Amino acid sequence: MLSDLSFRLRSLFRRNAVETELDDELRFHFEQQLDKYVSSGLTPDEARRRARIDFGGLDQVKEECREARGVHLLETLLQDVRYGLRMLRKSPGFTAVALLTLALGIGANTAIFSVVYGVLLRPLPYQEPSRLIVLNETTPRVGMVSVSYPNFQDWRAQSHAFSKMAAVSGVSFNLAGPGSGLDQPENISGEAVSSDFLSMLGVRPVLGRNFDASQDQAGTAPVVLLSYPLWQSHFGGARNVLGRSVALDGRSFTIIGVLPPDFRWIEKIDLLEPIGVKANDPDFNERADRGDMVVLGRLAPGVSFSQARSEMEGIAARLAQAYPAANDQFGVALQPIRDVFVSDLRPSVLVLFGAAVFVLLIACANVANLFLMRGAGRTKEIALRIAIGASRSRIVYQILVESFVLAFLGGLLSLGLAFAGIRGLARLIPADMLSGASVSLNGPVLLFAAGVVVLCTFVFGLAPASHSTKPDVQSELKESGRAMGASVGQGRMRGALAIAEVSLALILLVGAGLMMKSLYRLLSVDPGFRSNRVLTMEMSLRTAQYAKDPARINFWQRVLASVRDLPGVEGAALGTDVPLTDNHSRTDITLEGMALPKPGSFPHPDVHRVSPGYASTLGIPLQRGREFTDADTENAPLVAMINVAVAHLYFAHQDPIGKRFMLGHPSAKSAPEWITIVGVAGDTKLYGLANPARLEVYLPFRQSALGDMTLVVKSGIEPATLTSGIRNAIASVDKEQPIFGVATMQQLVNDSVSTRRITLILLGVFGALALVLGAIGIYGVIAYSVAQRTHEIGIRMALGARREDVVRMILAQGAKIAGAGVVIGIIASFGLTRLMAKLLFSVSPADPATFAAVAIVLVLVALLASYLPARRTLRVDPMMALRHE
Amino acid sequence: MPAQHLDLPQGTLDLLILRTLALGPQHGWGISERVQQISSDVLRIQQGSLYPALHRLERKGWIKPRWGTSENNRRAKYYELTKSGRRRLEVEEDAWKKLTAAVAQVLGTV
Repeated sequence: MLSDLSFRLRSLFRRNAVETELDDELRFHFEQQLDKYVSSGLTPDEARRRARIDFGGLDQVKEECREARGVHLLETLLQDVRYGLRMLRKSPGFTAVALLTLALGIGANTAIFSVVYGVLLRPLPYQEPSRLIVLNETTPRVGMVSVSYPNFQDWRAQSHAFSKMAAVSGVSFNLAGPGSGLDQPENISGEAVSSDFLSMLGVRPVLGRNFDASQDQAGTAPVVLLSYPLWQSHFGGARNVLGRSVALDGRSFTIIGVLPPDFRWIEKIDLLEPIGVKANDPDFNERADRGDMVVLGRLAPGVSFSQARSEMEGIAARLAQAYPAANDQFGVALQPIRDVFVSDLRPSVLVLFGAAVFVLLIACANVANLFLMRGAGRTKEIALRIAIGASRSRIVYQILVESFVLAFLGGLLSLGLAFAGIRGLARLIPADMLSGASVSLNGPVLLFAAGVVVLCTFVFGLAPASHSTKPDVQSELKESGRAMGASVGQGRMRGALAIAEVSLALILLVGAGLMMKSLYRLLSVDPGFRSNRVLTMEMSLRTAQYAKDPARINFWQRVLASVRDLPGVEGAALGTDVPLTDNHSRTDITLEGMALPKPGSFPHPDVHRVSPGYASTLGIPLQRGREFTDADTENAPLVAMINVAVAHLYFAHQDPIGKRFMLGHPSAKSAPEWITIVGVAGDTKLYGLANPARLEVYLPFRQSALGDMTLVVKSGIEPATLTSGIRNAIASVDKEQPIFGVATMQQLVNDSVSTRRITLILLGVFGALALVLGAIGIYGVIAYSVAQRTHEIGIRMALGARREDVVRMILAQGAKIAGAGVVIGIIASFGLTRLMAKLLFSVSPADPATFAAVAIVLVLVALLASYLPARRTLRVDPMMALRHE
Repeated sequence: MPAQHLDLPQGTLDLLILRTLALGPQHGWGISERVQQISSDVLRIQQGSLYPALHRLERKGWIKPRWGTSENNRRAKYYELTKSGRRRLEVEEDAWKKLTAAVAQVLGTV
């Protein structure tokens, strides 16, 4: 055993010595045999000939000896790797183009895969995440909506499909005041959760303890679990935070624990509090009050998703019957937790991954083409080696090793590109879109890159390998000229590869074109407001001093007055539910004199509470009547504005001005508080540019003051430069009031289309890469064919062909490739662009204009790529070309 | 030139090499010459199979090489039998005798 090993090692590492010994041994045999024939009376020449015949193929004998020594595979591998490296060094031009092409293809794939892995594949940091379901309520008027706490309690009591259910309700706090140690007051957010929440996820606090069941009950003492980042940034990671109190909204909360560093939730979480603290609020226990709550459920063992869904639909239907006032027409929606995390990213990520694979295929086709061209020059070498005893499989093996060396080096180079690409991607994709998914160059991503390298080896190595060993040895060795070096088959193969490149490039460019048109159409949609030079920021009055109304209204009035005084400010207003933000509040309304529908079919508009000047500051056009004025105070008659959608739906043939409605449903207990419509405003795209307008109602903020409002400022200058001035103005009113969510309207518009924009940018980059690689492919094929046909061109010109004819002939060859590629690409695109229909906006996946434009661009680029080498024929001297042989 | 050569049956090449080396160290050419002589030119070993076989036996540790000088003063690689090679030879000889006896018996009776 040991001797065998040392024998193999010697063969491997003392390779040169062993090879020399083998040579010596065989030469000795040959000379002995020669001596024997000479002494038997043959002439030296004849003796030599006989000895050679006796010996057979020298290469083959050596090969078999190496094989017998048992280091054959590794040995030949090393030898082939060295040989491959030598070949690559010998043709630096070929190597540079091939490596660059591969690095781009592999790098693009690795970068995109890091997103695929981070967003779609990486397991969520929970125990058995595939059994976790997120539940919401649904209503046909809106779609998916939050869950009310009483409904959650009934779900949990009645359901058997889930082993556990937890309520998860969004909360936010102002972190300020003495003792917080902050330079600036802050608004932080988190969730109020059932005590089962963390144990359902399989998450344990790294410090302290989880909530217990008693903390689900209303009246429990205020406690919090800190997120790891908040613990680090605000408490210096001190272990003695346990039991300390922190002032939130001016109240004291006891810190009982810290969450682990890798903890993720769908929303950003700074802290958790027990749901019992929230249950103190009477509104929270209203069945019709759907705040900001989702329900997390863990499927019971053996229960399938569809079983759980049908059980929950049954429960929801029973609850709708039992509590029609709150639940009429409300259903339930179940989503696997992964889908909630991924949200609308999945189609984009998959389309981009597909695009990256196409780029890789183009790159491989390019490299295969380069190999074939070089292979044409090597057919004689290979034929010679086959003649002296090398087996065909041996040569295929060697070409594959050579391909692997190239792919491996390309892969190494690509890591640099992938690293830069991943950093670029991480910056391009807004953090909230990733819901905490990390996009990085990690183990699984590297493994993927390695897999791609191996795959590439076969994709671009096999075609040339099988082709190189096909030529008939006899005829190859007899061929004298190099003019015939490229067989017809090889030429056809190269043409086919170039055609494939063109069609793949066309598919990518069509995809990018459709995205571009969609985004253009989307951004051309009238949002119903002006986004130019408008700044927005949120405030939340949460401390006890603002619990009563004059205090709140006074605060808002003083803020408005001081901001309006700032230089550069053209107008300022307050409002809730600013378009394209996540803030929405909807309620049922009853129109005076309307036939009362079933409870689930009342008009259900979005309700804005706004200050005078809101519509004009945001540029929302006033269609009829008037905007609110300073006279619409808490003591004045109740008034409202409606939007055009409400006017069309409920006042189709009448003037809505002067008509009245009330909030909520009429009740026998109290007299209705009628609100008079005084104006009609234009529709706004509250829920995104691609979504239809909804019903909207505006109320004067002084007649229904709220603690949470958004300040909207129209400026004559770049709005972001006003931020610090506005901060100071507000601090002069109350220096403990945090300001958050600062964004220009333009940013909100851009963010609302960011998935599409990122998809477009990346598709555009891939399309451009594909175009360049495809052009290189065509250029290569034409340039090679021109070089091969120098002789023929010489003859043509000697026979009187004009130079233009020759150029036209070469261009026709390029046009044929481009034409075939375009036709195949268009057919394939018709099938493939349908897969991205979800990403498109008011553009058909088969948009003829896009297809035509892309086809024209591709044909022009192909002609240009063929013209460059074709021009070279203009310099061909017929006499030189004929003497070429 | 003898009238008839026989191709070596599968597996007998190792036996012939080991048996030849049992007589004393020898180089590859010597081995093939001796087998040819002793078999009165009936058995001929092709170089194409001799050298791979020698390297295989060397790897198995049944023979070991030593560089020496031939009768006509050339550097030559001599092989000699090792202890385990000698044991191997006994096993193979025994097996061969049993095989040929059995084959002869079958040919004689049937």
